[in-house]
Amino acid sequence: MFDKFRDWERNRHQYAMDWQARTGGKVLGYFCTYVPEEILYAAGVLPVRILGSHEPQDVTEPHIFGMFCPFCRDCLAQGLKGRYDYLNGIMIAQSCLHIRQAYTSWSKHMPREFNYYMPHPQRVQSPHALPYLTEEIRIFKKAVEDWTGVTITDEKLQKAIDVYNENRRLMRQVYDLRKAENPPLSGEEAMEMVIASQMTDKAEHNGELKKVLTQLPSRKMGRKTCKRLMILGSEDDDIAFIHMVELCNATFVTDDHCTGTRYFWNTVEPSGDLMKALAQRYIDRPRCPSKDWEERTRVEHILKMAKDWNVEGAIVIQQKFCDPHELDIPAIRKALNGIGVKNLFLEFDVTVPIGQFKIRVEAFLEMIGDEDLFD
Amino acid sequence: MATKELYKTRPLQSWNRAKEIRENFYRDYAQAHEKGGLRWAGGAWTFGAIPCGLGEDVWSITSEPYSASIAANKAFSQRCLEATEKAGYARDLCSYMRNYWGSIILNEYAFGGPFPKPDFLWQDHICCSHAKWYQVVSDLEGGIPYYCIDVSVGPYKDVTKHKIDYLVGQMHDGIEWLEKTTGRKYNDELLIQAVNNECRATSTWAEVCALNKAIPAPLEEKTMYSLYVLGTLMKHSKIVADYYEELRDEVKDRVDNKIAAVANEQCRLMSDTQPPWGFLSLFRYLEQFGALSVGSLYTFGLIGVWEDKPDGSWGPRTTPQQQGIEIKDRDQALRILADWNLSKPEWQHFYSPHLKTAMMVRIAKEWHLDGVMLHYNRGCEGLSVGIAENRLGLIEAGYPVMTFEGNMGDEREFDLNKTMGRVDTFMETLGFKK
Amino acid sequence: MITAGIDMGSKTVKVVILKDDKIIGKAITLAGFEAREAVETAFAAALKDAGISKDDIKTIVATGAGKKNSPYADREITEVGAGSKGATHLYPGARTVIDVGAEEGRAIRCGEGGKVIDFALNEKCAAGAGAFTESMSRALEVPIQDLGELSLRSTQAIPMNAQCAVFAESEVVTLVHLKTPKEDIARAVHDAIASRIVSLARKVGFEPEVVLIGGVAYNVGFVDSLQRALETKVIIPENPEFIGAFGAALAAMED
Repeated sequence: MFDKFRDWERNRHQYAMDWQARTGGKVLGYFCTYVPEEILYAAGVLPVRILGSHEPQDVTEPHIFGMFCPFCRDCLAQGLKGRYDYLNGIMIAQSCLHIRQAYTSWSKHMPREFNYYMPHPQRVQSPHALPYLTEEIRIFKKAVEDWTGVTITDEKLQKAIDVYNENRRLMRQVYDLRKAENPPLSGEEAMEMVIASQMTDKAEHNGELKKVLTQLPSRKMGRKTCKRLMILGSEDDDIAFIHMVELCNATFVTDDHCTGTRYFWNTVEPSGDLMKALAQRYIDRPRCPSKDWEERTRVEHILKMAKDWNVEGAIVIQQKFCDPHELDIPAIRKALNGIGVKNLFLEFDVTVPIGQFKIRVEAFLEMIGDEDLFD
Repeated sequence: MATKELYKTRPLQSWNRAKEIRENFYRDYAQAHEKGGLRWAGGAWTFGAIPCGLGEDVWSITSEPYSASIAANKAFSQRCLEATEKAGYARDLCSYMRNYWGSIILNEYAFGGPFPKPDFLWQDHICCSHAKWYQVVSDLEGGIPYYCIDVSVGPYKDVTKHKIDYLVGQMHDGIEWLEKTTGRKYNDELLIQAVNNECRATSTWAEVCALNKAIPAPLEEKTMYSLYVLGTLMKHSKIVADYYEELRDEVKDRVDNKIAAVANEQCRLMSDTQPPWGFLSLFRYLEQFGALSVGSLYTFGLIGVWEDKPDGSWGPRTTPQQQGIEIKDRDQALRILADWNLSKPEWQHFYSPHLKTAMMVRIAKEWHLDGVMLHYNRGCEGLSVGIAENRLGLIEAGYPVMTFEGNMGDEREFDLNKTMGRVDTFMETLGFKK
Repeated sequence: MITAGIDMGSKTVKVVILKDDKIIGKAITLAGFEAREAVETAFAAALKDAGISKDDIKTIVATGAGKKNSPYADREITEVGAGSKGATHLYPGARTVIDVGAEEGRAIRCGEGGKVIDFALNEKCAAGAGAFTESMSRALEVPIQDLGELSLRSTQAIPMNAQCAVFAESEVVTLVHLKTPKEDIARAVHDAIASRIVSLARKVGFEPEVVLIGGVAYNVGFVDSLQRALETKVIIPENPEFIGAFGAALAAMED
């Protein structure tokens, strides 16, 4: 049922090149999910998220100091190896320092027609972030118009927002079904679905989502749900890891990742000023830790999600050297412990040592299981 | 021969005054409550001029230099780092932060006694760790009122009104917050004085650094660290602004009389990022080759504020006072403060390493350098960001580059012998002998 | 003119004696705990090999990690300088020298006449050096000299993350448990080390000709992985472990 998403996720480059050939349109690669994709989509550009390939590589050493996260190095490696040569543009919206380097090296050594660094407030909790970001989106819109020659009218933008909002609502419907005692999909399938949405035309993705949703409520997984887990932390598209865990008598029922819920959780709310409405959406979305201060709003959000999805355990992952997450994780783990959600911490690299992690995951699942004996 | 003395040299006369200012700073902070005053904590880059409006009995501690002081005491630093790790924080986080938290967890102040808990936290944010640093401080201290201003609006060359508005809006809110948090009435006059002091201090520090273009260099970087640090403590204070003017006069005199920092100067280098604070002997080792570091973007531009001079050279930014601007009200003071700080050279590279490379190449040219030593600093992602691209850019511009890995505040990640071995290799390739 | 070079590596001590620029004697011995004794042993053996006495030698230059503790030496040069000098003397067209010893990997970019233009050394972890292959051969229970041949028989590439030698070792243990063929694990180990070394080579901007020196050059599996990652052939001199000592002896000629 989820084969199409898997196919898109696995053959992302082929999809983008076919789209380019078919439509004659421009493809833009972006590095962080704070990019307001709606503007690009309204101009007929296909935004695709640049992700790594999880292979060891030897090409980024001259460009990024090894103490920065493996994810940013893996992304840059894709560019240096020529896998994204078809991109017409690249951009980033300001978030953490790590991924920023993938953009700054890429734009210098493999510049595209359009290279855009979008300033973006880090203190999204300040009321002054809204006018600031609104203006930045306006400037960005102008830059996209200059690049594409397309005037982004309110009508075009509203259409783009509608497509994106529909995508967000449909994916939330899928996630809501995961609240069931026996979720009709695996965590692996959910991750493939969200990642696929980051690299395909949303209208096409919506079509597939609607098809899936007609059958999904009655779908039987053909295996036991066993332990209900959530996964949260840094950027995570490590499908091999999710697959391994779900073979150990567990099912992921939700997540807090920018390759998951953080990407699609909230919609753009109707407003007379579309720029402002867009800015508000990116300010209100579930936050990346680099933007979550002075309050730690993520903690409450994660706890609520753990309760709503009836989570028994959480796997907290972090890309090696990911400082923003390292700075939130002790507080999050403490809070999870506070509501009795046992959690396992793992540090991810470009490749994860499946064998070693399996031992830890199995031990962790047994630990959760122990409590059942006393029920 | 490198050992031959080519130039006269003598110790810096204003040295003791610098030491005294620093000692007073840490003492005043610790004793603030005894005098009925307030204490606050924040980063070296924070807008320290703003809390000045709360009164003249308000003292601060700035986190980075405080942590560097811890790092220089290897045994204490080790205990701090271990305490932080034991509390569950990752070992690869900013080492300043880890030293600082350790000092709180152990409840030991590096200058004696228990750690003096601040009344409020006043920070700014540009690297990923700045704002998060004080979330944890607040956690560790059981909750301290915390305000943090986001300054990450992009490079100064692209600054427009809406970006300044974003900063100034946060500053205005911050003043209201300060009044509410401390129960004190805010005094704009004191703010205006502090803003003028800050512009004067940071411009004068740039002037001191520009004097180091001279051959022989009147200062070498190991000494500069102890001088520039005053700016990281209280760049907004009259004491520091006055001291930098005194220092500038002395350094000018050294240039006029060809008084060198290193008598056998033959090879002029610059470094980059914070040094491993427990191992400043590395700089003395360079002198065996007649080599010295004449500074870095770090010592020049973290506190110094610069501009392009009419002759095309890089020099101190003209202050509002020098331009004849009289600051009349709060909003004007905050706007000047925002604009002034956004032009800080050490803030530009956060958006693009290529902007930093251009500044480094400029230093290499104007300060007549033979090579560059880049500290790949595992302790600070904020200043190490893009450093590999800086290396490529400097090589492209024709400057030989040596890199070494280390950590400004965690001695476990620095190997002095291995680094000296690298210096040997670098000097051998440049043709300088002991 | 007769000169000598002493290379005090972290695992072995090498001595080369030159007459003009021809090698007339050489010897290698394990460094052990008493490096001084090792140098004395190796030096005596090299003198015997050359059939000369110590007094016949005009200048002695030391290099290598332990060079500061070397007896006999008139002066020292760095490992980078020695490796570059030795390799470019043999191959004047060499523009990149890769030196992989027991504890350290290095990449050197050379100009005309062996002038060092840039160099990169591996940092704290020995994942890019010979000691790593030794610990891996123990984990696989394969004699170190057979590890190279074994990996050439591999039929599949298995990614291994070798940022750190200790973690890589536990990855090998996992592969062993998964019953992965030994030859594939051997190749994964060599690919991982080669990846670290090629990262260094890319940092200095490698150009052909590439000369590989140091004891690890004997490992045919590593050489195969290295060439694949570099996408170019490397030149391996005869007696690659002696090139540092050779370079030091050449430097002694210049005095």
